[in-house]
Amino acid sequence: MQPRPNNGLQPVFCTIVPPHVLDKLSQADDPLLAGPARRTLDADSARRHHRRVTALAWTPQAARTSDPVPAKPHRTLYDCRHGTDLPGVKVRDEGEEATQDASVNRAYAGLGATFDLLVMEYGRSSIDGKGLPLIGSVHYDEKYNNAFFDGEQMVFGDGDGEIFLDFTLAIDVIAHELAHGLTQYTANLAYQGQSGALNESVSDVFGSLVKQYSLGQSADQGDWLIGAGLLAPRVSGVALRSMKAPGTAYDDDVLGKDPQPASMDDYVETDQDNGGVHINSGIPNRAFYLLATALGGNAWERAGRIWFDVLTGGELAQEASFKDFAKLTVAAAQHRFGEGSEAEAVLKAWSEVGVPTR
Amino acid sequence: MRIQVSRTGGFAGIARHGEVETSGRPDAAEWEALAEAALADGRGGPPAGVPDGFHYRITVGDRTVECADPRLTEAQRTLVSRVLKEGA
Repeated sequence: MQPRPNNGLQPVFCTIVPPHVLDKLSQADDPLLAGPARRTLDADSARRHHRRVTALAWTPQAARTSDPVPAKPHRTLYDCRHGTDLPGVKVRDEGEEATQDASVNRAYAGLGATFDLLVMEYGRSSIDGKGLPLIGSVHYDEKYNNAFFDGEQMVFGDGDGEIFLDFTLAIDVIAHELAHGLTQYTANLAYQGQSGALNESVSDVFGSLVKQYSLGQSADQGDWLIGAGLLAPRVSGVALRSMKAPGTAYDDDVLGKDPQPASMDDYVETDQDNGGVHINSGIPNRAFYLLATALGGNAWERAGRIWFDVLTGGELAQEASFKDFAKLTVAAAQHRFGEGSEAEAVLKAWSEVGVPTR
Repeated sequence: MRIQVSRTGGFAGIARHGEVETSGRPDAAEWEALAEAALADGRGGPPAGVPDGFHYRITVGDRTVECADPRLTEAQRTLVSRVLKEGA
């Protein structure tokens, strides 16, 4: 250790300093600046890795396999170059530097943030629990106003600029698509009717959780909007969906009015959209919002944990109804947290949206 | 020939509808060829679709086929995007 001129006092680098700033400092000529920055980066990195590994240590997957379950994501991003062949041209592999294409970099970051929430908070390595590689394609088709999960990968359009912007702009959209993969590998909720609306809602829930997680927001700080930042400037609305107040996200002459119901009183019976999966998802969305805000703190810690437990617990049927799901959330809350405020809040949330729990 | 396209589903769950009447149009033959190709491609029956993918119903006269993201044929994609004036 070299003696320090300033009476042995070391500069303190608070972890609020982002890694890229530390990176720059670690390369400085002045060892007074470089040394602490390098040590902070190393310590941060080691702490993060330790946390990832610890989070995985007690999972069923880790117990069963002799191979270690990956604690980090393996992401590969492709560019469809405005065609529709999938996956397209590979443009960024795991660990590679950011490219010139902001869509690629946003999708890469969003997939990483989703992986991080799953591994750090729920001890799950990727969507299959065994580190499944995450694949995303951007610039699908021309002016394509959509994003989807095709069973194997995520696909993002650029939007037409009139109604929608680039679908990678919203981290909750990226997480929403990846969550379809999570659902596929776990409960595999059928994408039709109530089970389909649950499938959609689970994706919106994880979309919001990843957004709040990445922004360090507690439940009362989150905006509980899906696709905010996706709507083109001329569109009259704040987002595509509101978990807080379903039916209020937009009211526009081209898009129409947000059709989501906030309770079972307004459940929509329709043949369109696989029986309204993007419409009736408003009901379980609102239930989750009510639960998360009633409990307070970080939404992923208790409310998200209950939802994750139900999704992965093995008892949720593919054709589950809202009532089936609600009953399981009550049981999961009791199992995880006992007969306390969590289970009570779950009951209250479903009661408010009109879904029976017995 | 009357060509109708209905689109439902998608991340936003927003339905769109478009129609074209080809009679009297200078490019009628092109439209009709496209429509016939789209119909022929859709003979397999309603597709399963993928989460957040678009579903399309193409009606030509009194014949209807359905297709869904991402498995549209060239003809279906071209027809749909022309009728709806949006990417498909």
